[in-house]
Amino acid sequence: MNRPARVALVLAVVAASAAATWHFVSFPSASTWNEEELRLIASLSLDALPDLPPDPSNARGDDPAAAQLGHSLYFDTRLSANGAVACATCHRPELMFTDGLTLAIGAGVGNRHTPSLVGLSHSPWFYWDGRKDSQWAQALAPLEAKHEHAITRSDLARLISSDADYRSAYIDTFGPLPTFDIPAAASPTGDAAERARWSALTAQQRSDIDTLFSNLGKALAAYQRKLMPGAARFDNYAAALAASGSAERDQGDALSAEERRGLQLFIDKGMCVTCHNGPLFTNHEFHNTGVLANPGELPPMARYDGVRSAREDPFNCLGEFSDADPDQCIELRFARDTNDLVGAHKTPTLRNVALTAPYMHGGQISDLAAVMRHYNEAPTSMLSHNEAKPLNLRPPELRALEAFMHTLTAPLATDPRWLRSPE
Amino acid sequence: MNQPISSHFNPFRVLLAYACCIAFSLVASAQAAEADLSGSARGLTLDVYSRLSPLEINRIHSWEVVVSDAEGPVTDAEIIITGGMPEHNHGMPTQPQITAELAPGRYLLEGVRFHMPGLWRMEARITRDGRPITLTIDFEL
Repeated sequence: MNRPARVALVLAVVAASAAATWHFVSFPSASTWNEEELRLIASLSLDALPDLPPDPSNARGDDPAAAQLGHSLYFDTRLSANGAVACATCHRPELMFTDGLTLAIGAGVGNRHTPSLVGLSHSPWFYWDGRKDSQWAQALAPLEAKHEHAITRSDLARLISSDADYRSAYIDTFGPLPTFDIPAAASPTGDAAERARWSALTAQQRSDIDTLFSNLGKALAAYQRKLMPGAARFDNYAAALAASGSAERDQGDALSAEERRGLQLFIDKGMCVTCHNGPLFTNHEFHNTGVLANPGELPPMARYDGVRSAREDPFNCLGEFSDADPDQCIELRFARDTNDLVGAHKTPTLRNVALTAPYMHGGQISDLAAVMRHYNEAPTSMLSHNEAKPLNLRPPELRALEAFMHTLTAPLATDPRWLRSPE
Repeated sequence: MNQPISSHFNPFRVLLAYACCIAFSLVASAQAAEADLSGSARGLTLDVYSRLSPLEINRIHSWEVVVSDAEGPVTDAEIIITGGMPEHNHGMPTQPQITAELAPGRYLLEGVRFHMPGLWRMEARITRDGRPITLTIDFEL
């Protein structure tokens, strides 16, 4: 071999080694956590989750009878126009109350990915764009949405009034039912014929139906308040770390070295913890992270419009069907509505995230590895600006972050009887 | 004629004085309760007493803010408080507002919530006699 060929060979070997190191070799990390890291790890542990505060707008939120009624309603396909769609059709217990689909499919195909319901009761806002300010008000909209349950509130009132079990459970929990002859297929949000039948009712009759309708939402919320995450391997690690009184990263089998490196990146260089913070790994807030709109959809205004919808919602905390004093509607009264909310969607929980693919508000990203790549690149937002910045993480670092996501999987801390139909 | 010192000794009086000392020190320490946050500019001082203490993320709560100058409490001030994270170029998740003056110079700020750990900057724009003064308070959560 002549000299230039030898030099070329050596250079090629060096370049290949460097590339292999970049792609495959994890650099060793410190053997102990510092004080700030320990504080952040403790703040993410389920041990730090406060008791679920009452929802002042739902006086029956923690009433066992309301939860029982909500449980029945949640799994009942009679709450749909075609008799085939229940809440549990899309929010499936066996998939952590998601559906595994890109876009939800009820009576038709929706335009949003089904979010998990686990731990959601801790959030002050609901829907990807935060257009509802309580879990009970949220529960009402899918019932009448044409691509979801596609039923009307008057048909729901007729069902509750005519079914002996629902009738007695409703009266026991919420009081008397409407006493007039409720028309079929009447709603202020339906098609022209449904709206016309709604308009033909007296104000008192409309109010009576709306009261019943909102109470169904309150029962469904009382049920959903039972759906709480259980302690995962990460929580066991955080507990072992706290109990040891030391800052040693290695706590035996609780987390592997790669998972610990993922945790380190999560709270440090990856900056994930800026939004995915607290024991539910979400700040319940709205951020633009440069996720592309679904094909055929204009980039949505998201929370910018959502907060305005929430203010106008007749079922919001300040409305006549709320049980709260206006003073208690703090989130709604002081909600921000500024331009930086354009294109901002809600931060989802990362609890059980490995079981809830695909990801993002439109299910645009199919798996966790692709999610890591998305945040590593932080692409320019189609509308407004991407709050995230490129991370420049190496492939082994992205794999470590993904490995850490798998440490957040655990069975729910919910009595299994709530996870199946009461029938 | 001098009386012996012992004849002046009254144990009840001593106890009373002792109790007064304790009461005074309690009142003094209450009055001197340290503000959670403070800032000042152009002769104005703003002290923040959070009703959620210590401050933490993701919990909506209220602050009591006390505005004073060299002459004492500043009453009937028009106060607008905004906040954000300068390192992330975004604001607070809420729009807090002053909703009452609880006592002279002591105002109720409702709707305070922080949603991220890190450096936060609050700005208080206080208008008095038509003259705006902006105070800035930085803190880490």
